[in-house]
Amino acid sequence: MTLVSTIQVGAGGAATIEWTGIPQTGKDLLVVMSIAKDGSEGIHSVQFNNDTAYANYNYRMLRGNGSTVVSQAESATNMIYLGYGVPPSIFMSSAFYLPNYTVAINKSLSAEAVGEANATTAYATITAGSWTNTAAITSLKLLVGGTFLQYSSASLYTISTTGATGATVA
Amino acid sequence: MPTPTYIPLATKTLTATATSVTFSSISQAYRDLVLVAIPISTAGYQTSDIQFNGDTATNYSEVRMFGDGSATGSSANSRNLIMGQAYVNSPSEVCNIMFSIFDYSATDKHKSVLVRGNAPSSLVITSANRWASTAAITSIRVFGSGSFAIGSTFTLYGINS
Repeated sequence: MTLVSTIQVGAGGAATIEWTGIPQTGKDLLVVMSIAKDGSEGIHSVQFNNDTAYANYNYRMLRGNGSTVVSQAESATNMIYLGYGVPPSIFMSSAFYLPNYTVAINKSLSAEAVGEANATTAYATITAGSWTNTAAITSLKLLVGGTFLQYSSASLYTISTTGATGATVA
Repeated sequence: MPTPTYIPLATKTLTATATSVTFSSISQAYRDLVLVAIPISTAGYQTSDIQFNGDTATNYSEVRMFGDGSATGSSANSRNLIMGQAYVNSPSEVCNIMFSIFDYSATDKHKSVLVRGNAPSSLVITSANRWASTAAITSIRVFGSGSFAIGSTFTLYGINS
């Protein structure tokens, strides 16, 4: 697993966290985040290759808040929701894994997120997402429906299968 | 220097349809394993399930929870396999299943497996599983309710301690 880079939001915040020119030498992607937002509670999400079309993303989410469990889904939307209820000014841990990011198939991902607040409302979420596009992923953009606060950080890793050894497969 | 992780052990992309894929002679040098499956359906309903070391007996148990976009549910089951539970219904549907297999080489404990199944068009699911065997895992068979289509990918990674 190779770290591409870690982005930490500076003073003043940021509307997005974005990587471009993602190396095409890996097989899978892993993004790990610790994020907080301004304003009211919101959802963090991802878009790929600057695709903002309301047709190319699907997701299916399961979330719980300690008393209630809810499942929501959207098809033909413009982003994949990764987690629910980013608490205002309180950090949330989130990660997603996206296999075969360079392969000419539609893309799917696996995401988890939890709020870090010891509060009356906090969410744990798992999400299945897809991007209906066979292009290799060369950029990705994280959004939060507002502003990522200072000290929010996200790390992008590539995972390679080059030189695989240690098992046989048939 | 940080300890390397997600070490690729083996990967296979199908060039012909297949009913199963088997990883064998798995190195015992790691702490945990992660198996990432991207199955493609040939037609109709298709799951991705695993068995260890050729064990086809009812030695696997699970607790799972799922959401389909409106309904939610949870159940506990005993089976003769660990379910991937990210079924796809057509070749155009994408999904992935991640099996995290902990302490796979230990010989003093049963094995625990965390499964995340992701089928964005139908289901998101997670399950905690146990294989009631103290044997070290040396092989993993991946199979399903139907056949895997060309292009299906299965990759096994070792996680260092």
